[in-house]
Amino acid sequence: MPDSLAVRRAGVSNAITRVHEVLDAFAERDHRGEILTTLRHFPAREAQWADFPSWVNANLVSAYNAKGVCRLYTHQAAAAEAVHAGKNVVIVTPTASGKTLCYNLPVLNAVLENSDARALYLFPTKALAQDQLAELHDLNQRLENCFGVFTYDGDTPADARKSIREKGHVVLTNPDMLHTGILPHHTRWTRLFENLRYIVLDELHTYRGVFGSHLCNVLRRLRRIARFYGREPQFICCSATIANPGKLASRLLEAEVEVLDSNGAPAAEKTFVFYNPPVVNRALGIRRSYINESARVAQEFLKHDLQTIVFANSRLHTEILLTYLQQANPRLPGKAETIRGYRGGYLPNERREIERGLRDGKIRGVVSTSALELGIDVGSLDTVVMAGYPGTIAATWQRAGRAGRRSGSSCAVLVASSAPLDQFMVRHPDYFFGRTPEHAFIQPDNLEILINHLKCAAFELPIAPDEKFGDVDLPDLCARLAEAGFLHLAGANYHWTHEAYPADTISLRSVTSDNFVIVDITGQPNVIGEIDFPSALVFVHEKAIYLHGGLQYHVEHLDFKERKAYVKRVYVDYYTDAVRYTQVRVLEVAASESFTSAASLTSFTSRSHGDVLVRSQVVGFKKIKFFTNENIGDGKLELPENEMHTTSYWITLERPLLESLPFSVSERQSGMFGLLHALESVATLLLMCDRRDLGTAVGERPPAPGSENDSIVAMRMEDAVSANAPEFFVPNLYLYDAYPGGIGFSEPLFRAHDLLMKTRELIAYCECKQGCPSCVGPAGDLAPRAKEAALAILDRLCA
Amino acid sequence: MAAIPDRFSRLAALKLTRGAALRPEKAVLRAPDQEDVLVQILGAGVARNHFGEHLAIRNWYSTPEYMEPSAVAIDLLSRTRDESIAGKTRTVLEDPEKWLFLDTETTGLAGGTGTYAFLVGLAWWDAGGLQVEQFLMRDFNEEYSLLQELASHVQERPVLVTFNGKSFDWPLLENRFAMTRSVAAPKLTAHLDLLHPARALWKLRLGSVRLVELERRVLDARRLGWHRDDDVESALIPQHYFDYLRGGPAEPLVGIVRHNQMDLRGLAALFGKINAMLSESAGILDECESLDLFGLSRFLQRRGDNARAQSACAQALAIGLPADVRPRAQRELALMAKRRGEYDRAAEIWEEMIVDSPDDVHACEQLAIYYERHGKDIPRAMEYAKLGVAKLKRHRTASLRGLRDPYFVARCARQENDFKERLARLERKAQPSSPAQHRGAPEAAEPKASRALW
Repeated sequence: MPDSLAVRRAGVSNAITRVHEVLDAFAERDHRGEILTTLRHFPAREAQWADFPSWVNANLVSAYNAKGVCRLYTHQAAAAEAVHAGKNVVIVTPTASGKTLCYNLPVLNAVLENSDARALYLFPTKALAQDQLAELHDLNQRLENCFGVFTYDGDTPADARKSIREKGHVVLTNPDMLHTGILPHHTRWTRLFENLRYIVLDELHTYRGVFGSHLCNVLRRLRRIARFYGREPQFICCSATIANPGKLASRLLEAEVEVLDSNGAPAAEKTFVFYNPPVVNRALGIRRSYINESARVAQEFLKHDLQTIVFANSRLHTEILLTYLQQANPRLPGKAETIRGYRGGYLPNERREIERGLRDGKIRGVVSTSALELGIDVGSLDTVVMAGYPGTIAATWQRAGRAGRRSGSSCAVLVASSAPLDQFMVRHPDYFFGRTPEHAFIQPDNLEILINHLKCAAFELPIAPDEKFGDVDLPDLCARLAEAGFLHLAGANYHWTHEAYPADTISLRSVTSDNFVIVDITGQPNVIGEIDFPSALVFVHEKAIYLHGGLQYHVEHLDFKERKAYVKRVYVDYYTDAVRYTQVRVLEVAASESFTSAASLTSFTSRSHGDVLVRSQVVGFKKIKFFTNENIGDGKLELPENEMHTTSYWITLERPLLESLPFSVSERQSGMFGLLHALESVATLLLMCDRRDLGTAVGERPPAPGSENDSIVAMRMEDAVSANAPEFFVPNLYLYDAYPGGIGFSEPLFRAHDLLMKTRELIAYCECKQGCPSCVGPAGDLAPRAKEAALAILDRLCA
Repeated sequence: MAAIPDRFSRLAALKLTRGAALRPEKAVLRAPDQEDVLVQILGAGVARNHFGEHLAIRNWYSTPEYMEPSAVAIDLLSRTRDESIAGKTRTVLEDPEKWLFLDTETTGLAGGTGTYAFLVGLAWWDAGGLQVEQFLMRDFNEEYSLLQELASHVQERPVLVTFNGKSFDWPLLENRFAMTRSVAAPKLTAHLDLLHPARALWKLRLGSVRLVELERRVLDARRLGWHRDDDVESALIPQHYFDYLRGGPAEPLVGIVRHNQMDLRGLAALFGKINAMLSESAGILDECESLDLFGLSRFLQRRGDNARAQSACAQALAIGLPADVRPRAQRELALMAKRRGEYDRAAEIWEEMIVDSPDDVHACEQLAIYYERHGKDIPRAMEYAKLGVAKLKRHRTASLRGLRDPYFVARCARQENDFKERLARLERKAQPSSPAQHRGAPEAAEPKASRALW
């Protein structure tokens, strides 16, 4: 591997030499070539220029000139022209390629030409809106403050809101505020809606899955209100590189969208390194902590005076890494701290100060969550260290893009954790570098989501029978909502007839808006955290030991009605593990296909997708001693059953296939669970989704779809792999959408022909002997041959 | 059992959270004669204009009696701090013919575009009593004609008088007008909202200033022969209306209409009472309870009438105030005196306060300032400062023992610190020692001191 470090050193700047020194140092330590698994160079790219279009207002051109922008990149000019031609556009370019100009230029031009014109900007976070506000203020000053630009979000003081509604030419907000604060009060925004020309959607790729499905419906409502005021606004979207930006945009906007994806911005030379922490126990597949290794890599860069950004995947890890790096780089007396943290919980002013410090170089290192991944302007840094794979290829490139705008050269290091995805990535660099990034899916017609927004729409404006709202039978839905007491037909229109304000109870972000608060009642009652509904049943049921911030709490009482869990601080040597049964019943098969390759055995082994009913219940718990993992007691629980209709992808394993496996029943079954674990890992990779968005279960295939049958067996993995476990006759392995109604993952999974191949690679290339958390997951701990069995099943499926 | 569940069984997820009082909306067609029932039991007429029709209910009441608005009261009620009123507006404002009392019943309190005002009640003075006119929409498609009717009444009488209408009823109606895109919201010449004056005047005594409460304990409803025995509970009003829309009984609407009438009459009577108090008509203040006088004082002070505020406050104190309010009144009175430059008068009150309420720190602080700047009695100033420190220390230990309120503790610490700084300065003033120090120290301390003092 060190051979690949044959880097060209001629005629390079200082920073490059220093980057190479650091890389060489790593390579020297890596005797077996296992640590630096990949090292790729990307040459620098020249900028491609274009002139300002002739129709752009002269004052605007001189304002940009004064900022140092005298020419446009080709993609900026192309975007401006397309918008000028009245098209909806989506601009797809990497981080730091000047995409804000793509929308600010046409929008401000419109405002300068007609001072009535209005535009609404939507950003996924408040911080991004703040950042854009600063940029627009700067432009405005150069234009003698001729337009009004404001942010409108939860932080906007009440007394400022009125004037924003009247005077804001450009209003910067977020989807949540649009949903609860603007649309239900559209009559106060008459001025804006009557003149609404443009809607800007930045960071479009963040609107996927549940959030994206909600946003699509919010946009339906927005267009509906705009139409009420006689406007059909034009959309300008920006997205990071994903595989299907055009499709995502046209799905979200439900209109034709022109995709502009040729990037004219220059790029510095870049080195991309995959770093796998060294193995400390080969048999168990245990590696050195990736957090410590990330700190070490970052410290090496900092020592060579390279400005570095470290990305962590959680707030906790941000704080840990920050502590390590601050200890290694103590503050000099009388000087400001040179290593800073940056994450959601920090106050706006502090964040602005950090961003400034990064731009002017006073801050040498910053440890951040994904907060800095999106388009906040912090200038360019020399190196990026990612502690753990960010979860998607797109996000990884976004983060890597933080390095190297002006220094001439840069380096991005991905330090892998032992999670399956991370290990898969570092072992299959071609998958990462060769592949187009992930697809983003949304399912706006998910009935549960759609109905919630239909209620909001009715609140905002009575619904006329000939309206369109998604791909559903609107009159029928309205009639049903009327029957449920939400709407009332008066004259020709359905009106809202409920006291409640529907938008208030619908959250765009979380899967369910229902959550439990955890109250520590050791002393004065004190809220220490919150937990979503499904997790609450597992983690804070009565008598559970709840771990929070490294401390143990005993759950005294779970108040279902008030959605509160009361806990008390305890010191015990055990933890609890909830015993949960999950049962999946197939309601309707949408499509099914046999594995023809397995023809030697049977043609009944198949994969399918369709509608399912998922029932899960926590029926008890086990007390497990720390370190020894002995079971030291059980408890029964009577908790409500959770039932949800959703969509699922599943694999059916026929009897002959199972019987052909040279394993015992329990080994075979541990193999199934191991396979399912690996399938889930790969599915999240292919779908660009969070692991929590998918659920898994193994169950007996019922004789016919839809029929109730007593023989449906739901088994927990722990039971299925025990020595005298009952045997599945013809099991189904389910991967279902963990959102009521389904969010559209099942069909893409069904169509993803490389799902099984990738899963096989993941397990086969894992260095462990008998299965580890990086491949087959906990099944590997419970049964000795889980990994082998899983591979054997896959071999037969993929043969 | 084997059936595939209807995809709409997912709609079960929409189960209503609220009670079971709902009627399913199924082919709810009221027979034509039933509509007549509503007209009959309400004693209503059908009003028509080019937008359609709605019900109108007219009544005249002899109580409350007409009360001429006094110029003083108009001035106090309509003045927002820095706004001076144009002459034309003033003429309209002073003409009681142009006044319109307004109160609405709505389908909810949430506001926003999905909340409707299904009953709009208006009232104005006529023939020595009160003319009340109410518009009711029997269904949502009668809203336009109702709003049109409302608009023409408001144009005729553009001075609106409401109770919490400034933040609730009128914005909601403005929303409704905007939603029509065809009936313009009428322009108001002035909007007098009685909620804030009422709160200033009676909150101290009553705790709650709901209109019903005011009627009972301020307006003396019993004497007027008013009662609300069979009144509808406000919280149930939207549900009654929704039930009616779905074919439910018309009777509850009668209760709602009456409720709205009572609110309008209460509103007019409330204006009379406030008018009387603000204009100090014939001895009314002598009948007032001391708490109301203190409330009046605070209201007058807020609206900038300091002279009357001071006399009302003094009067309240003279009559006697409960122990928990008395120090507040004294403090206000002293501060008013101080602002007018009557330092000695203010000092008298502070001295009284120290005797009356041994825990009061404010008076110690003020007296320390007074003796330093005006009394020119440094030892006494020091005495009061020391007393203040001692009291604060006592507060803090007491607070630490009981409920720990971090803000309170922090405030005490801050005040204590201020006292100590003051003491140090006083000490230097008391015994000017070496000339060098004399030159240096006071000058350096001066800008800070002046800020802390006044």
